[in-house]
Amino acid sequence: MIPENETRYIVLAPDSEFTPGQIARTIHAMNFDVIVKETCFGVVVMGKREEVRRLVTEIRKIDPNRIYTKVRGFPVGDPRRCRAHKGSRPGFAQLEKEWKDLVLIEKGLQCMDRGEPVPEIKKREKVPVKELQKICREG
Amino acid sequence: MKVLIVPPNSLILFDLVERFGHEPLSVMAALQERIENREIESPPMNITVDVVKKGLKYAAIEIPSGIRGRLAIYGPLIDAAEAAVIMEDAPFMFGCVGCARTNEMMKLLIHKRKIPVIKLDYPNNEDEAKAMVAKLKAFLEGLKK
Repeated sequence: MIPENETRYIVLAPDSEFTPGQIARTIHAMNFDVIVKETCFGVVVMGKREEVRRLVTEIRKIDPNRIYTKVRGFPVGDPRRCRAHKGSRPGFAQLEKEWKDLVLIEKGLQCMDRGEPVPEIKKREKVPVKELQKICREG
Repeated sequence: MKVLIVPPNSLILFDLVERFGHEPLSVMAALQERIENREIESPPMNITVDVVKKGLKYAAIEIPSGIRGRLAIYGPLIDAAEAAVIMEDAPFMFGCVGCARTNEMMKLLIHKRKIPVIKLDYPNNEDEAKAMVAKLKAFLEGLKK
């Protein structure tokens, strides 16, 4: 059975001009029927699936390349997972790393919007065996 | 189209797939069903007999239970996927998605399905990010045709 509720992270890129507080207040002002929780990286919203998706579409319009979202499995403030009850929670290291790298993704999206030429990237290659042997001998 | 993302809990991939007009298949949504619909004390750690049976469909009995348990969740996502995006060398492939063997097995099962797949490198600088986003956008827009 597919749950009818959805919980979403709305994550602000580190160089966003908005604060999580501003986004939370904006969502409240939009009058969607959702629960909003402000966090250090953005907000967490929970409500009926359609309502949350409409909210995501609307909130993205504020700053399309600096607002990112993903679904969250646990409801807002769930005592089994909430950091307020349990301290640092599993999975946050990953979210933190991706949050830091949103600056790079933003540049990629801007590049697409402006129609700039895409830089060619040389595929990272493995160290050749002879080179590796040389390094081993030096060590 | 339903697009499976690997790592299955990636914020970047989830957002980009949705942004470019497809439905991302992620582990968060799969776990939400377990968390909300079952009376389990500390989900998603607990498993039931049914989960073990489901895992057997994707991994043989001699494969470690950790891999089988994970595949019980990832397997139905792979079955439902119509395309897949695989991010190689993501630095956060530790923690709850950190089982390297499960990730290898997952990639194998995706390739066996013979669905459209794109492999991307995790970006470490601006140029790599631009190339990654462009490659992903072209792939996802190609799926719509």
